[in-house]
Amino acid sequence: MIEIVDTGPLNTIQDLGRPGYRDIGVTASGAMDPLALKIANLLVGNDQGAAAIEVQTFPFRLRLRETTVFAVTGGANAKIDGVVLPPWWTQTCDAGQVLELLPSPLAARAYVAFAGGVDVPIVMGSRSTSLRGAFGGIEGRALQKGDTLLLGEPIATVLPADGLGVVPPASALAEFFPVAADNTLLIRALPAGEHDLFGADGERFWSQSWKISSQSDRTGYRLSGEPVRPTAPVEMRSYGIVPGVVQVPPGGEPIVQMSDANTAGGYPKIAGVLDADLWRLGQARIGSRLRFVRSSHAEARTLDKVIAAYVEDVRNTAQMVGRALETMAGPKPAVRKGKNQ
Amino acid sequence: MSVVDFSDPATIAFLAAALQAAGVDGIEIIQPGRTLRIVTGRDAPGADPLVQILQSTSCAAKPDKVSAPMAGVFSSHHPASSAPPSQPPLKVAAGETLGFIGIGSILLPVKAVKPGVMTRRVAEDGSVVGYGDPLFEFEPRP
Amino acid sequence: MTSPMPQPTDRSSNALGTPARIASALQREVQISTIGARAFLLEAPGDFDLPAQRRIWALAHALRHWDNLSEIVPGMTNLLAILKTTPEDPDAVIARLRDAWQRAESIDIKGKTIEIGVHYGGEHAIDLAALCDRSGLTDREAVRIHHEGTYTVFALGSAPGFGYLHGLDPRIHMPRKTVPSLKMAKGCVTIGGMQTGVAMLTGPNGWNSIGFADLQMFDPTAAVPAIMAPGDTVRFLPERIEL
Repeated sequence: MIEIVDTGPLNTIQDLGRPGYRDIGVTASGAMDPLALKIANLLVGNDQGAAAIEVQTFPFRLRLRETTVFAVTGGANAKIDGVVLPPWWTQTCDAGQVLELLPSPLAARAYVAFAGGVDVPIVMGSRSTSLRGAFGGIEGRALQKGDTLLLGEPIATVLPADGLGVVPPASALAEFFPVAADNTLLIRALPAGEHDLFGADGERFWSQSWKISSQSDRTGYRLSGEPVRPTAPVEMRSYGIVPGVVQVPPGGEPIVQMSDANTAGGYPKIAGVLDADLWRLGQARIGSRLRFVRSSHAEARTLDKVIAAYVEDVRNTAQMVGRALETMAGPKPAVRKGKNQ
Repeated sequence: MSVVDFSDPATIAFLAAALQAAGVDGIEIIQPGRTLRIVTGRDAPGADPLVQILQSTSCAAKPDKVSAPMAGVFSSHHPASSAPPSQPPLKVAAGETLGFIGIGSILLPVKAVKPGVMTRRVAEDGSVVGYGDPLFEFEPRP
Repeated sequence: MTSPMPQPTDRSSNALGTPARIASALQREVQISTIGARAFLLEAPGDFDLPAQRRIWALAHALRHWDNLSEIVPGMTNLLAILKTTPEDPDAVIARLRDAWQRAESIDIKGKTIEIGVHYGGEHAIDLAALCDRSGLTDREAVRIHHEGTYTVFALGSAPGFGYLHGLDPRIHMPRKTVPSLKMAKGCVTIGGMQTGVAMLTGPNGWNSIGFADLQMFDPTAAVPAIMAPGDTVRFLPERIEL
């Protein structure tokens, strides 16, 4: 069991979401950075889609009520009882210890996973909190100070006593996920249905950089920059949407829909972000800049594979390292001593 | 009482397979009195690994060295950190992380076992180190 | 939870209520475009009407047999097909969708009939007066026209279990408000353009409220969470008229 000691608003329990119900109006929800969630789960021996805590407002503190294997990934400066934890790290903590998360200048959201996963009821196939629908997670609401969370039964896993980490994807996969020299995030997208109705503004959409405005949250990001407008008013019939769709409301400043996006939309859509870049968008901080880069299905497939290979490498190597260390150390210190005699 | 026997062919085969899976070239396990060295053929993955069991009379790593917990690539700082690592001598607390060993995408911490001063980095950043290779020189100071 | 994001769907429903402008967007051929690398949107040509929607239902039915599909989301005379993985040849997917559309024959879903008791007028009917002003009808006439109608659920979307109801008498069409109500109550019976519906969530809403229905229409813990399904018939029963 864990206890929430301190939390900002809008920190929620999330897993990989509940896709499959858009046709009855249900938002998929799920982690804004699904890659960080998967890695956190793999590090503690969980299925990659187990439920964890998504922290996007800080400071955040929790107390462990029993000895627990946990992992922190994504953007945060984490400390255990005041001792700094390296980024993207897993380790065992004792009952009573306090995990503290402070904001990171690099990324917006952190994921805290626990061996066994956060055990809240499964609603429509997922434990993700749907704030708008008011279900999932803890009674469909954000975490509050004083909440206690039950954990599932941990899967037996071998973890080195000193803990273990991963090279964060932004470093490990840097050659595939570029950032411009001035730190502008480069986000790959494909033109969407109404792109060509924007004329010259459609080209400017790609060439100019956009700032993520303060009116941005799990539902979507409002971008600020010089407006882009279609050459004539466009009327749309309501259509199904997915996270990553870039729509342009009449004001001309685009909106990128994110994890808590509505299931249907009606604004003209100028582009759609590749799934492979959504995790980076999910970690983009308010006030930071991004530029859209025109991509292709071929590039999307390459990036999908790069991410899948990274996840597999973490899954396999973490287990291999744990087993190898256990083998080298021997099961118990007493045994090793015996060997020496 | 079960004992890990590094002369057991099954254990050696397991370690060799694990090394190959991780893309690591070799491992050296030093125990008082003997050393197990496994070198896998990176260029010829199908080939049998070279296994040597060396008897030795020398003692284990000296207490003033901090050594590699496993074979891998040494790094004195976390890959996500942009700041250059501080230069020795450095006062460190027990349990403080001094550096990392990278195995694929996995990072193993190298920690100070007791409080003291790290006086010198022995291994170069980015170099491949074997199990037990000295990484730091260390003066324990309670 | 109120989000600072505007809800574009509210605006879209406005678009549905302005037939003159929709006409300008009419296409002769089916249009297929992409949203990102995995989702493909098919938009039916022609009018926004029941025959077009019936063909969308037929298409949705046909696509259920595709292997690589993760989700099928019917919209207003359009359909979003979300693939499980990024396709190697997107043009082949588009060709296959176009072929499926051409083969799709209008189906008439034998849906159930849902009767919804409505308290017309009263504290929740905040836009009834404006509807009368716009239509020139008395409040009694406007309410009668609404509850005498027979409606078809075209699609669900926008909020859990929310059904877009088609079949509103043109005399009581009313565009979405330019300034949405910030906290319209769940259960409000509303008009948005040429459609009507029952608000599923309390929150910002640009549709025009003329009454209130106290009916639980979505239960996330139920085996079938949404009461409405595409093709269902909906009737509103005037339980009380408070004018």
